[in-house]
Amino acid sequence: MNYDVVVGLEIHAELNTKTKMFSGAPYHFKAEANTDTNEIDIALPGTLPCVNHEAVKKAIELCHALELKIDPLVRFDRKNYYYSDLPKGYQITQQFHPIGRDGHLYIDLDGVRKDIRINRIHMEEDTAKQFHLYDETLIDFNRAGVPLVEIVSEPDMQSGQEAALYVEKLKQTLNYLDVSDARMEEGSMRCDVNISLKPQGSTVFGTKVEIKNLNSIANIKDAIEYEIKRQSEVLDNGGTIDQETRRFDEKTMTTVTMRKKEGNVDYKFFPEPNIFPIRIQDEEIQSIIKAMPELPDAKQKRYIEEYGLSDYDAKQLLLNKNLAFYFDEMMRYSKNAKACCNWLVSELQGLLQKNGQTIETTKVEPKSLSKLVDMVNDQTISSKQAKDVLVDMLDGNDPEKIVEEKGMKQVSDTSMIEKLVDEVLDENPNSIIDYKNGKDRALGFLVGQVMKKSKGQANPQMTSAMVKEKLSKR
Amino acid sequence: MEVNEVKELAKMLMFELTDKEANEIIEEFKTFDKQLALLDKIDTEGVEEMVYPFDVETAYLRDDVPDHVLSQDEVLANAAKTKQGHIVVPKVVK
Amino acid sequence: MNIDELMVLDIKDRANEAYKKIHEVNDKLNAVITFIDDDGKRKEGKLAGIPVALKDNISTKGIRTTAASDILDNYIPVYDAAIVTKLKEAGAKFVAKASMDELAMGGTNRTANIGPCLNPYDDTRITGGSSGGSAALVAAGIVPLAIGSDTGDSVRKPAAYCGIVGVKPSYGRISRYGIIPYASSLDHVGYFTTNVKDAALALEVLAGRDDKDMTSSFAPVENYSEILNSDVKDKKILVFGNVYDALNDEVIKDRFDKVVEGLKERGATIKVVHFDDDLMKCLFPTYFIIANAEATANHSNLDGVRFGHRVDGTSMEEIMTNTRTRGFSSFIKKRFVIGSYSLFEENQERLLKKAQRVRRLIVEEVLKELKEADGLLAPAAGTIAPKLDNTSTDELSDEYLIGENHMVIGNFAGLPSITLPMGYKDEMPIGINLTCNAFKEADMFDIAQAIENITGCKDMIKEVA
Repeated sequence: MNYDVVVGLEIHAELNTKTKMFSGAPYHFKAEANTDTNEIDIALPGTLPCVNHEAVKKAIELCHALELKIDPLVRFDRKNYYYSDLPKGYQITQQFHPIGRDGHLYIDLDGVRKDIRINRIHMEEDTAKQFHLYDETLIDFNRAGVPLVEIVSEPDMQSGQEAALYVEKLKQTLNYLDVSDARMEEGSMRCDVNISLKPQGSTVFGTKVEIKNLNSIANIKDAIEYEIKRQSEVLDNGGTIDQETRRFDEKTMTTVTMRKKEGNVDYKFFPEPNIFPIRIQDEEIQSIIKAMPELPDAKQKRYIEEYGLSDYDAKQLLLNKNLAFYFDEMMRYSKNAKACCNWLVSELQGLLQKNGQTIETTKVEPKSLSKLVDMVNDQTISSKQAKDVLVDMLDGNDPEKIVEEKGMKQVSDTSMIEKLVDEVLDENPNSIIDYKNGKDRALGFLVGQVMKKSKGQANPQMTSAMVKEKLSKR
Repeated sequence: MEVNEVKELAKMLMFELTDKEANEIIEEFKTFDKQLALLDKIDTEGVEEMVYPFDVETAYLRDDVPDHVLSQDEVLANAAKTKQGHIVVPKVVK
Repeated sequence: MNIDELMVLDIKDRANEAYKKIHEVNDKLNAVITFIDDDGKRKEGKLAGIPVALKDNISTKGIRTTAASDILDNYIPVYDAAIVTKLKEAGAKFVAKASMDELAMGGTNRTANIGPCLNPYDDTRITGGSSGGSAALVAAGIVPLAIGSDTGDSVRKPAAYCGIVGVKPSYGRISRYGIIPYASSLDHVGYFTTNVKDAALALEVLAGRDDKDMTSSFAPVENYSEILNSDVKDKKILVFGNVYDALNDEVIKDRFDKVVEGLKERGATIKVVHFDDDLMKCLFPTYFIIANAEATANHSNLDGVRFGHRVDGTSMEEIMTNTRTRGFSSFIKKRFVIGSYSLFEENQERLLKKAQRVRRLIVEEVLKELKEADGLLAPAAGTIAPKLDNTSTDELSDEYLIGENHMVIGNFAGLPSITLPMGYKDEMPIGINLTCNAFKEADMFDIAQAIENITGCKDMIKEVA
């Protein structure tokens, strides 16, 4: 039988603020255990929460980017449960009034734009980190209280691929906005999948299975694909799907049962009495939105429509936000978009990779790379020369200076080249005969001779054209 | 309400009750129910819950600037068991 | 001695008597959980060298803070409550962490894990609670100022039973940061003194915006002790008719009448008001549901993992369960079960939300009148301090539901409220309560001082040693 697959995602992303959601303690990933907490984070008796302004701003930015309706009255609630990683015995979250509702994220599904609806985004706080040893668990409270946003999608995805694209796109958005590092491998972005199958065309939803704690986009895709296969087989054999929570086992590439659901847990949600409702003025929301960096979709559109880049090139630039920002910076100094893109994506990136550097660490300034591109473009130097210059630029040197110092400037002076061409032709009568007899190689030889005489500085295109012209006259 | 049910309620709150305590709670619930009847008499149709003493909104939010942090010693000072800078509990099974 | 009298002494000597006498007095009253030794340091300020007692739910860095609960019997905070910092800056000298009902969840001070606190006037009677230890230490003349907390009437009831002044200012007036909570939406920091002027001075020290408490108010703090003025000529004062009617004690009513008469003579306008009786009967159940619901969540951090008296077990759940089973008294456990019951999703509509809606109706009902007046006056309690072994309260009578619980209105609506002595019955003090409009503490102190002048009940001390 064929089934319709229904997938929804719940994604937690840590906001990259300097302090916690409700305390002024700093947070650094990989800090020594229990050195990034204060009395609020470990819930010592008598402590009270105090909301981080920056966290609210970042949540608003994300809501706007994903087209959610923003609730300007920020309110918090308590979610009650006992667990060793939850210091207060409740988590402060936004159950009743999430900061944003009803948004969209668009994925590019083989060239077709698909709308994945977002149900809600709310702010909450992270739990402590636990390390499970053989017979004991060690708890580090540094992560306790780190601001989180939870992004809850509607069940609008139908395959592992769509889910992967959704997560990819969300990660990209979080990155561009500087809202979250969104590194799944470091746990600053975490994904839970809800998946159910129903007979094709049926309007009745199947039993929902939750897959928890997926830590890479590849795993999300693989887990969903496995789960589709598993559930299809169960249903094909007349079985029923248990409502349960599963986890993905990377070694076997399968999902395994974590726990069966026995009714819904009652978290006894109620409004947080220690935080009065916080009114965010409309002017503030507008100014937050105004200060937001350009989003990937808008950038892509601009690159294609304004700069005439290909879809492929535009996407290459967008893969890494710092690459895109670098490119934007280059375009302040150069008009040669296509060439800038090529030199940045292929040449510079390739060179950096070889040297164990990245676009984030390189000393090559966007302005310098633009200069180099323009020098090639106006034929001051050849591409080949430019590649050598780029190597020297890695130390942060200015390309013009390098060209100057190395005497690399191409000779584009017509009379100078003409003189050299005449000399070479005079010296090589046999080659002229060869050329006239249809031996193309002779042309290359003659051009090479001119280049040699110019010590490599003659403009090769000009030289080649001049040689041809002169040959036709002899 | 039965003794077992009351004990179950307590378990969810991470403590145990003796039979005596459970029976006392059952008794208290009887008084409580009578007091609830007084609440039931009040028409609260369309009344919004009062969560705070005043209907106030605040505009204050904390600047994202680290203020103070406890030393690791202070964090662990009141913990019953610690190891390598961590607080220790028996192995937690997820 | 009150604060003014102590201030006459050399700064070095102001706390000497307190440090010296407190042990002996405590042998009689059982009012102290932890003694604080004199560190010999003195500092200038509004309370320079003045001995002060702190209720044991106030976080004190390096000084054990138990909230009178076994679960915290070994807990030593690593931070100071906001008010502790303020008091230190004002030069106050702490002499003790005072007894209280366990986790402040009581009104008798009988539920302290160290046993009941005894009334200085009669050691067979309670002090009232939950801030009973603080009240006893002021009433016995050990300290002229003691800090408490007030969720229902936990400062203002013991003040009545112990013959002293008890103040609970507006919600948000004093930072709650570092106060081990009972119910966050009702909790207020309060305090005891022996006269109104000291009470006005104390608020100057304690009040003020604190960024660590998001419910803390930005309302400017006035120089209450300097602007204090007992003139009530233009004041309009309401008499709480429902409370008066619900009480049966003729002596208390008579003393109360005399105060009202005195206010009239001083030119105040008096109006007797009767609020909707059905709403007033709901004061207690409304309070009970909200307070216990918030309390069970507030105390979920008491799990033995990071602090507190851990009882071992073979799993995380077992540790938490063993710790909490040993750590809480039966009384507390029962409250938590009821509080949690009100929070269940299927019960919230009928219990917590219903109570929160009724809370609004009660507040609206009272403010409708109070907004047009300056204060609301009622006897603080229907009786003198009950006997330690008294258990005969009829929890469905008007006398209990209204007469003994009317002061929760101040907590529901965050209103400033003060109890002060108005005389004696059977050699036991009796108190009167005045509640004013939010952030009108200056009005409250003015009217209170007029009452103090009328009754002559000022600096009432009962020496026990």
